[in-house]
Amino acid sequence: MEQIKERHERELVLNLGPQHPSTHGVLRLKIEVEGETVIKCTPYVGYLHRGTEKLAEGMTYLQALPLTDRLDYVSSMTNNIGYCLAVEKLFGIEAPIRAKYIRTMIAEMTRISSHLLWLGTHALDLGAMTVFLYAFREREWILDLFETLCGARLTVSYPRIGGVRNDVSQEFIDSLYEFTNIFPSKVGEYETLIDKNRIWLMRTKGVGVISAEEAINWSLSGATLRGCGVNYDIRKKHPYDAYDLVEFDVPIGLNGDVYDRYLCRMEELRQSNRIIRQCIEKLPKGAILAPDAPKFTLPPKDKVLDNMETLIHHFTLITKGPMTAPKGEVYCCTEVPKGELGFYMVSDGTGKPYRMRIRSPSFVHVSALPALCEGGMIADVIANIGTIDVVLGECDR
Amino acid sequence: MEEYVKIVTRDRLYKDEMESLMTKFLFLEIVRGMRLTLKTMFKKPVTRRYPKEKRQAKPGFRGLHALVRNPETGNAKCVGCGLCAAMCPSKCIYIYTREGDNHEKVVERYEIEVLRCVYCSLCVEACPFQAIALTETYDYAAFSKQELFYTKDRLLKNWDDFMTEEKKKRYFESFWGPKTSFFRENESQATFKGKS
Repeated sequence: MEQIKERHERELVLNLGPQHPSTHGVLRLKIEVEGETVIKCTPYVGYLHRGTEKLAEGMTYLQALPLTDRLDYVSSMTNNIGYCLAVEKLFGIEAPIRAKYIRTMIAEMTRISSHLLWLGTHALDLGAMTVFLYAFREREWILDLFETLCGARLTVSYPRIGGVRNDVSQEFIDSLYEFTNIFPSKVGEYETLIDKNRIWLMRTKGVGVISAEEAINWSLSGATLRGCGVNYDIRKKHPYDAYDLVEFDVPIGLNGDVYDRYLCRMEELRQSNRIIRQCIEKLPKGAILAPDAPKFTLPPKDKVLDNMETLIHHFTLITKGPMTAPKGEVYCCTEVPKGELGFYMVSDGTGKPYRMRIRSPSFVHVSALPALCEGGMIADVIANIGTIDVVLGECDR
Repeated sequence: MEEYVKIVTRDRLYKDEMESLMTKFLFLEIVRGMRLTLKTMFKKPVTRRYPKEKRQAKPGFRGLHALVRNPETGNAKCVGCGLCAAMCPSKCIYIYTREGDNHEKVVERYEIEVLRCVYCSLCVEACPFQAIALTETYDYAAFSKQELFYTKDRLLKNWDDFMTEEKKKRYFESFWGPKTSFFRENESQATFKGKS
């Protein structure tokens, strides 16, 4: 009898993942529960490790671009932009104004598509199944637009060092403008479905509370941080691309629970829509690749077979990378849908990066999971995984 | 706080006690949600019944590879410079060349391991001769690894099968870059044409 009692009193160790459907990939959590209360939560990562940072060391700067697509595979455009900005900072070049507007536009489209995926899956995890297809209906539109733009839907590789890969078409702009007209009403639809739903409120309000101070100590970023009442948005604090030329608000939540982070992301959807609209209206004519970019990106194709120097340049750029790479190190951070994505590049003067370190938001957010989960119920672990918006491709790199 | 900050936290969900009570007892928020879902019953479905209904890929889609056939000689345009293989991030292109009878370079084998390809189209951008293309085909799943190992003949056949006249032109116009026009302003660039 004593033995049985002892066994009952011991906490139960539970493995959540790596194949659990609501861990958004291959996240494994080792949870110790007492009854239904989580006492200890330990995340294990690395199931999707592909060695992106090491791979990039053996590649030229342009060649490493498709690798960044596969970090956060639901918002590959922003990863590309972050990488390109880091390399541009290293080389001291700047994209022309039209390219900046296009980049801002597509970055916000990615934010919308990423948040829609988050909304759909997060709601699905918490039992609101209807929102999923509603969110995917609009996401499909954006992915179709990406397809017209660059020929790929998910892993786009569209931005280039010093600009973008090809110009936007009139069809793209018209369709995107139509999207911005319709989208706010669609956000209203999602809100009708779950905003005040009593089950949704019970599952999200007061769950996974983290204070502003603690959030900063955990180095959270993005909407996860802003939901805790910290006013920090890289797009405002350190503007890159065309973010200082457009107007938008930064949504802040004060309670720091799952519901506030949800409200923040819903408002971000509207603000992103606003940014896209302004970008379309302001889109100027002009170059889409920087004039000094040919030192670093491929020279114009129509000259390659006529001009001998260009052809030599073309060959050396592809086989050896840029020959005039400066020495030094640079850190460049961008606001991606998940949070702060930073690229730390070290160059030793050869055509390949000596070291590329990626500061990925998902990795930091996963490390903060114990702080969110411990002391809560086991069912709320799922809500917490959803609310930090983690993509394991980026976490494990 | 700066003026761009927008506080989204809601202290109260409803205007007053009355509305709160009404919603609680009459399930108003659920009724509203149900009304929205009921409305969609009379709309066309947004999903596609995939194997029956196939979706046409958009122009310039990056799908299955093809080697461009030179209409004059009837052989591949590829000269075997190896730039595509050097550029490929996943190293899935294999090129073997040899010396021909008249001391020219002959591409003996040109193989692409499609399973390893990441469809970044950097090979297309690297090629100075417009000799390789990504077609608009996307459904080519196979049962064995061997079937997805494309040799030169199969790649040439892809070109004949999937690239008709207008597709060829459209493909190279939009995706073989960068071009000189990318570095300066030109009249045909797309801009916003006003609210219509």
